Amino acid sequence: MFSSINDLEEQFSEQGYIADHLLLTSIYLSTSLGKPIFLEGEPGVGKTEVAKVLAAVLDTELIRLQCYEGLDTYTALYEWNYPRQMLELRMEEARSDDKASIGKDIFREEFLLKRPLLRAIQTPGDKPPVLLIDEIDRSDHEFEAFLLEILSDFQITIPEIGTIRAVHPPIVVLTSNRTREIHDALKRRCLYHWIDYPTLEKELRIVKSRVPGIEQQLSRQICHFMQTIRSQDFFKRPGVAETIDWAHALLALGIEELTEDTVNATLGCILKYKDDIEKLQHEDLSRFIMDTGNPQS
Amino acid sequence: MIQAAPTIHESPNTSLLTRMVQFSRALGAAGISIDTANVIDLCRCFSYIDIRRKHEFYAAAKTNLVSRHKDFSRFDQVFETFWQKTLSRPVTETDNDDVADEDSVRKIAKEQKRMMDSSDEDLTPGEQQSSHIEYSPDEILSRRDLGSLNAEELKQARRLMAKLIAAIANYKSRRRTPARSGRDLNFRRMLRRTALDGQDPCKLLYRRRRIRKTKLILLCDVSGSMERYSRFLIQFICALRHELPDVEVAVFSTRLTVITPLLASQGTEETLRHFSDRIPDWAGGTDIGQCISDFNRHFASQMLRLRTIAVVLSDGWDRGDADQMRTAIQGLRRNVQKLIWLNPLLGDKNYQPLCRGIETALPHLDYFLPAHNLESLEKLAELLREIWR
Repeated sequence: MFSSINDLEEQFSEQGYIADHLLLTSIYLSTSLGKPIFLEGEPGVGKTEVAKVLAAVLDTELIRLQCYEGLDTYTALYEWNYPRQMLELRMEEARSDDKASIGKDIFREEFLLKRPLLRAIQTPGDKPPVLLIDEIDRSDHEFEAFLLEILSDFQITIPEIGTIRAVHPPIVVLTSNRTREIHDALKRRCLYHWIDYPTLEKELRIVKSRVPGIEQQLSRQICHFMQTIRSQDFFKRPGVAETIDWAHALLALGIEELTEDTVNATLGCILKYKDDIEKLQHEDLSRFIMDTGNPQS
Repeated sequence: MIQAAPTIHESPNTSLLTRMVQFSRALGAAGISIDTANVIDLCRCFSYIDIRRKHEFYAAAKTNLVSRHKDFSRFDQVFETFWQKTLSRPVTETDNDDVADEDSVRKIAKEQKRMMDSSDEDLTPGEQQSSHIEYSPDEILSRRDLGSLNAEELKQARRLMAKLIAAIANYKSRRRTPARSGRDLNFRRMLRRTALDGQDPCKLLYRRRRIRKTKLILLCDVSGSMERYSRFLIQFICALRHELPDVEVAVFSTRLTVITPLLASQGTEETLRHFSDRIPDWAGGTDIGQCISDFNRHFASQMLRLRTIAVVLSDGWDRGDADQMRTAIQGLRRNVQKLIWLNPLLGDKNYQPLCRGIETALPHLDYFLPAHNLESLEKLAELLREIWR
């Protein structure tokens, strides 16, 4: 799939995803060994993005299963299309005299509503799809246990049809925000990687690749500002996603240099909690900005 | 540069395998649980990476063997210690080798214990920020040591506690289950039934949100050293008992007594009086290992289910056999979802979990928390609420 880690790195950075060596190794080994990769980290550090970029790089379908509490097999796997089955029965009734044959073939594939997991296993074509199981920590224990079975065999049994096996087992990416600890049994079947907040240098590279057209000076200031904020104690520290949003916003506003006023006006891009915003407003904002050192002012 | 399909270690040789097993053991000794399947997968990785490069091997080992963020620093430590030692001398497979490694393992385990101790200190209540509690008489009460409450305060404390427990007791699952009535129609069933007998849907079927049942097991130490706290802790248990039907309670010191049936009688005060009469070893010595293994042997199979949280209330002063205690705690841990140890002494800033009982149990616990005032119990309730999800 990828010839080496360097090959993977190149293809990822072509797509604008800057990753460190540890993450690249995990992804590379995951695609080589056919083992799911389990990504944990704070919100907004680019966990979901890994799956998207992976699908783009491999030029294959991305199938996404967003987890939530109460997610069950009917929404994750398959469900019969009951209304259509009933209509079919009615039509058969009207059409034929042979009562015995009515209802014999309403459990065919055309009456099957395929949900993400079944789609991932049954993808047509000759490339394995990328299956993104997003925010697994939001689902419950029962669903985790159910996933174990799917992830180890990549086969699904539908009583009315039979067992469906994956022709090309999907490349599986699981993400978690760690609102709760995921069971060891599931984690052990995966390669694990913790995505941390990026270093200043890495964040600069990310901004440069994701926000084309931004001035060097401004992006330096932005990244410095974000790094400083992350070192402070906020309820929700901003991730890389916020950095990129903010950079886009500043660019759209035609701002070339950070000042206290511009920061105040665009604070909503970075901090999403009222308490955090108030806290920052009480601080001496210039301290955050001056850190970057601006020769022009 | 790395080649397309590196083949330097097509089949990893024995000494490499031995090293890998030793390495995974060293990690195990440092408290990182390792699955053999993952060690095998790591070996499979060798055909994809160049293990002569340290950073590649490091990345592969980390992603394969560690599955918790909190284990990262410990892994790094073991990785450095183990491979530095290993790489600095030729690979041999003698017995001496193993002995040397045992040494490093012990050193790592010691280091790790030091780390755990310091993180326990972080839990001391003096440093806990209780940002959400406003000033109120309740607050003062919630910080008072449980051992020093008088009767009136106890009553008040009990009210506070009941409120707190009520919040966690009735957790409704998001999953639904068929019901006789309700507001939520069960279309899936209705259509299925229609498909069976060919009738139009006319009988309305309902569903409702299922109530989640988590079982709680409390093992409460009532030995002499715990007497100061036991009165209050029993209150805590009783409050739980009234709110959650699915609680089992056992008290122990040198013997284990299951008191769930006793709690069935109404008043808490009355129950308390019953206790000291009926339990022969009230305020006696302690043999935690014996008592827990008694529990494992006689009660575990009927009381424990998958979704069970076991809470041990004890100060860990133990006069029994350490090996027995270890086996007992391990056995208990295997059979429950979470194992929580509450220790009233942890409230003391200078306390270090040095007494033998705690030292033995510590590696097997999911949580080790203070339980000396209401505030710490509130923390417990919060934790339970989280596990409940």
